[in-house]
Amino acid sequence: MLVHQYETAKAPKRVVIVGAGGFVGGAIAKELGRANIPVLPLTRKDVDLLSPAADTLAGHLQSDDAVVFVSAVAPAKNTAQLMTNLRMAEAGCLAFAKVAPAHLVYISSDAVYIDDANPVTERSAVAPSTVHGMMHAARELMFRNEYRGPLAFLRPTLIFGAADPHSGYGPNRFRRQAAKGEPITIFGEGEEKRDHVSVEDVARLAVRILLHRSTGALNAATGVATSFCDIAHLVAAQFSPPAEVKSVPRPGPRPHLLHRFFDVIACHKAFPDFRYESLADGIARVHRECVA
Amino acid sequence: MTAPTIGYAGMTHLGLCSAVAAASKGFATLGFDADADLVGRLQAGRLPVVEPDLDDLLRANKSRVAFSPDMRRLAECDLVYVAPDVPTDDQGKSDLAGLDRLLDLVLDNVKPGAVVTVLSQVPPAFTRARQRPGRLLYYQVETLVFGRAVERATKPERFIVGCPDPAEPLPPVLATFLGAFGCPILPMRFESAELCKISINCCLVASVSVANTLAELCERINADWSEIAPALRLDRRIGAYSYLAPGLGLAGGNLERDLATVLRFSEEFGTEAGVIKGFVANSSHRRDWPLRVLHEALLRKVEKPVIAVLGLAYKENTHSVKNSPSLALIRHLAPWPLRVFDPVVAASVAPHPAVSGAKSPLEAASGADAVVIMTPWPEFRAISCSDLARAMRGRLVLDPYAVLDRKAARAAGLDHRTLGVA
Repeated sequence: MLVHQYETAKAPKRVVIVGAGGFVGGAIAKELGRANIPVLPLTRKDVDLLSPAADTLAGHLQSDDAVVFVSAVAPAKNTAQLMTNLRMAEAGCLAFAKVAPAHLVYISSDAVYIDDANPVTERSAVAPSTVHGMMHAARELMFRNEYRGPLAFLRPTLIFGAADPHSGYGPNRFRRQAAKGEPITIFGEGEEKRDHVSVEDVARLAVRILLHRSTGALNAATGVATSFCDIAHLVAAQFSPPAEVKSVPRPGPRPHLLHRFFDVIACHKAFPDFRYESLADGIARVHRECVA
Repeated sequence: MTAPTIGYAGMTHLGLCSAVAAASKGFATLGFDADADLVGRLQAGRLPVVEPDLDDLLRANKSRVAFSPDMRRLAECDLVYVAPDVPTDDQGKSDLAGLDRLLDLVLDNVKPGAVVTVLSQVPPAFTRARQRPGRLLYYQVETLVFGRAVERATKPERFIVGCPDPAEPLPPVLATFLGAFGCPILPMRFESAELCKISINCCLVASVSVANTLAELCERINADWSEIAPALRLDRRIGAYSYLAPGLGLAGGNLERDLATVLRFSEEFGTEAGVIKGFVANSSHRRDWPLRVLHEALLRKVEKPVIAVLGLAYKENTHSVKNSPSLALIRHLAPWPLRVFDPVVAASVAPHPAVSGAKSPLEAASGADAVVIMTPWPEFRAISCSDLARAMRGRLVLDPYAVLDRKAARAAGLDHRTLGVA
């Protein structure tokens, strides 16, 4: 649950984005630009969090800045990547100890939650079962422990968007397969239902959190779970003629938890007039952006 | 023995309803409260609570009931019940300071040999810790229900009495008084009686939580909980009076207090209480049903919706808004214009920056995109669905307690949503 320090929205003096070169960081920078909020976008070229970086990062900070920390090697798949991500967060913690910003927003992940939370809420147990989830949970803990100012965690579920560099199972991979003229492949019957959120909605939520100097945790999820089969057909329908959707054997056993739903009531309470883009609208929009 | 005089300290909902019930059984009764203004209103027949039949019962027994702010008059009583409200904080924890102050005042002023009985809800170990040499202090479980308090006070199912030693007979004055109600009397040790009250409420919460859990499933799989519940009531293992009506989570404060007490004790003594945490989570989840449905069916589609809320009280036939689901909903409707109507609660109670009060349900509904019936007041059942449809701009009616006739609502073209059915 989020608690707003500002009931009425108030723009921060400046927002520093650590990891502005990435998919989510770039979207947040763009959204802040739309809202005419001054941004200092920091990319790996500006601050390499894996070299001794605390002084460099601190040198960019002012005490009245809000900071969005989104830089990560994601998804973290193994111990080495886990440790890399923790070192990056450590650099952030050391920098914030030198110059404490006025507000810190960490872009985390729904992977922090226990597998059998269903529906997932912000009150679900943080008990990750993956290295990636453990990485985000550990980084949340590091920031909570080391930064004493107002701190918010935004935990997006599966993100889609035109600029997504990954090709994970879901809308992004399906679109790329169809664009190459290949059939869209789903595992088994593609019956697993998952929530997908557009990167633009994640960015809009991040900006709202900044405007209200909110603290606590909020999931970025639409509240609507759709099967991968239906997603594949939504993507296929963007092409003319529609792309083929093909079932292939699962690479491993069927997931233990077949479906994952989110209860998004906390978002309704935090930002009553926030409206998520529907998955169908989002897939159509992303397709238009990609072919434009 | 001559009929004892019964005193009630604290003219709360509990104290007042219990005092009037005692008078109705033929006992001379004193209602004491240190608040002289309140006593003045009671003496003038203006009651501070809304309860069916309470005014009539008081009028019929007026000759046997006296109200006084004078503590010295407690010395006239043979048996004094101590019945102040025990407030709770946001976590459901009781603040017992007020009860302790009033209990001390009563123990200091009753005559020797009088029996003092705590009637307010207290945590286990409370009564034993307040025993005082030369005073007879007991505890009695109250099971009043807002909106049915007179019926519950005059025709109790049983009396549960916490005693220093349940093997000893009750003091004659207490036995005489309780015997007048003609129901079983169950003496037990203090801690058992105090936990008995909590146990009753936990069982009620269990039933409601089961109903809520399965009603939500009904809403997704085309089942109808209103068809299922009667079948359950005919099962002797479940019972005709089971709390099987789905609702918007726990409200009123007392049930929440007992769950909080069990959780606190389980933490202190290391007992497993996962199911109680489940009840709390389910209550919180179902409380948000109207907000979920409003977002899904209206707020994500209509730009500047007007919403009407009928009912502010936490349940029908009461003025209480403690933990009211209606107020909980209204807190999250701030961006949009809001109209409200409640038969007894003022619109100004609504926590909303742009609320306007209406004089009738239809006036509130006029031009609204959605009407939400948050308290099942009996008069709302008389609302004509066709009149409602004509008054509204939109079609959405959230009626969690099925106050309106579903068929009539649909025939009037309303998008009627209720708990437990798709």
